[in-house]
Amino acid sequence: MNQLILTADQQDCLQELINVAMGQASDQLARYLDTFVHLKVPSIEQVSSEHLSQSLHQEEQAVAVVSQGFFGYEGIRGEALLVYQPKDSDRLADLLGYEPDELSVEEQIIDLSSILTTTFLNVFASQIDNQMSYSAPRLLASSQSSISEHIEQQQFTWDAALKVKITYQVTDYSFNCDMILLIPSAAIINITTVIDRILEAF
Amino acid sequence: MSANVCEMIAEQINTGILVLDLELTIVEWNRYLQVHANKHSNEVLGQSVFTVFPELPRRWFERKLASVIQLNTPNFCSWEQRHHLFELPHTRPISTDSHFMAQNCTFLPIEKQGKLTHICILIEDATDVCHYQSKLNSALEQLAKANKIDGLTQVFNRKHWEECLAKEFGRARRYQHELALIMFDLDRFKLLNDSYGHQCGDLVLIETANITKSLLRICDQFGRYGGEEFAVILPETDLDGALDVAERIRETLEHSVIKFQGEDIRFSTSVGVATLSADNQRYEDLISSADKALYDAKSTGRNKVCAARQELKLLVN
Repeated sequence: MNQLILTADQQDCLQELINVAMGQASDQLARYLDTFVHLKVPSIEQVSSEHLSQSLHQEEQAVAVVSQGFFGYEGIRGEALLVYQPKDSDRLADLLGYEPDELSVEEQIIDLSSILTTTFLNVFASQIDNQMSYSAPRLLASSQSSISEHIEQQQFTWDAALKVKITYQVTDYSFNCDMILLIPSAAIINITTVIDRILEAF
Repeated sequence: MSANVCEMIAEQINTGILVLDLELTIVEWNRYLQVHANKHSNEVLGQSVFTVFPELPRRWFERKLASVIQLNTPNFCSWEQRHHLFELPHTRPISTDSHFMAQNCTFLPIEKQGKLTHICILIEDATDVCHYQSKLNSALEQLAKANKIDGLTQVFNRKHWEECLAKEFGRARRYQHELALIMFDLDRFKLLNDSYGHQCGDLVLIETANITKSLLRICDQFGRYGGEEFAVILPETDLDGALDVAERIRETLEHSVIKFQGEDIRFSTSVGVATLSADNQRYEDLISSADKALYDAKSTGRNKVCAARQELKLLVN
């Protein structure tokens, strides 16, 4: 099932939309967090549901995963996973501008996830003349074993998904995390419709 | 939707709606919030949100709203991290034990002509979810505990005890720490069961577990290995230390008297001791060393402590 859903042109276009959104999101985040936020060039790949847990296993060091659903017009929807590594969480409260005793580590992680996800996707949505709504972020798992367990327990109702991985780096706080956007196949078709429209306009 | 319909829905929906301007002054709220806060609109509208709801964690709340205002994105607050923000009563005051409504709050940026002017806070009652989740959690905790504990003696069961040993064994080998193992067995337990019945045997097992537990340190891990056999993991303990503990267990149990149906029941134990040595490759090797020492204690008269033979060799040398 390795046939690509996106053509090379479509993939380039999506990559470009994401790059622009990353630039703007990084700018907004830097202003809000008062520190530089680097977003590393994403990888875009297609995964099948049976390979998803395998592909997420590569994040095996992860200590926490936060999931947040997003949905916009024209059937564009998906799920954003924010994946944190063990040493990432030391100075989160500081980064977010809270006092450490004002909120638990879990809340810090969820808060940051929501900020990263919604800022990026809002900008991305405006690139394609869309508007996103979000479900409340949820901490899926906060320990290594339970993440793979969690993923393995999922009964996926789709067979292919687009996986977009973006790494956030905040060097002043020696912090980084990965945002993985998973877009189920039905929504990919909707995205390609939008992309084709943009490509035609050029 | 027409403004009229929106207004009607906002007044009837079972969700609190609170609209603040950018100075965090309350400019609108709906009926749901009005009745739950039990305040009149004229004492609320135009007031600072912190005056009307003094329970709000001010600094945190301001920072949370700053993200909505600056990034123009929604933000969320779940009961799982913060039980509630607003001290409101819930609709199940009888059947739940929490005092205030558990809440999921959503903070939405409100724009007018492309400019952010207000923040809308939606407050949803999550008391039911919170209640059932805490019930589920306590059931899961009990299950996890039941999975580790021996039903009769309430000490670790064999499966969990072995998992503990495997962990301690790995740690001790990796960091070259000391580790000792005590295994002991009630002498002539079958005879006890045959003469006084199984209820008496059960009572002796329970008392043996209780007495032994009271003799151990907090870091020692004590379990029922099988029938009338018990086992203790002693981290950071050398042979002398372990023999000390073993002798204390043997002696205390020997002098214990258990009352069963008016009769005084006395019993003794045979004890085997082993410590981690370089040729123990697997934790099972340590068990079998201790087990052999226990067999030595049995075959040379019972009611005594024996150290694993390779240790004896070392002692002789």
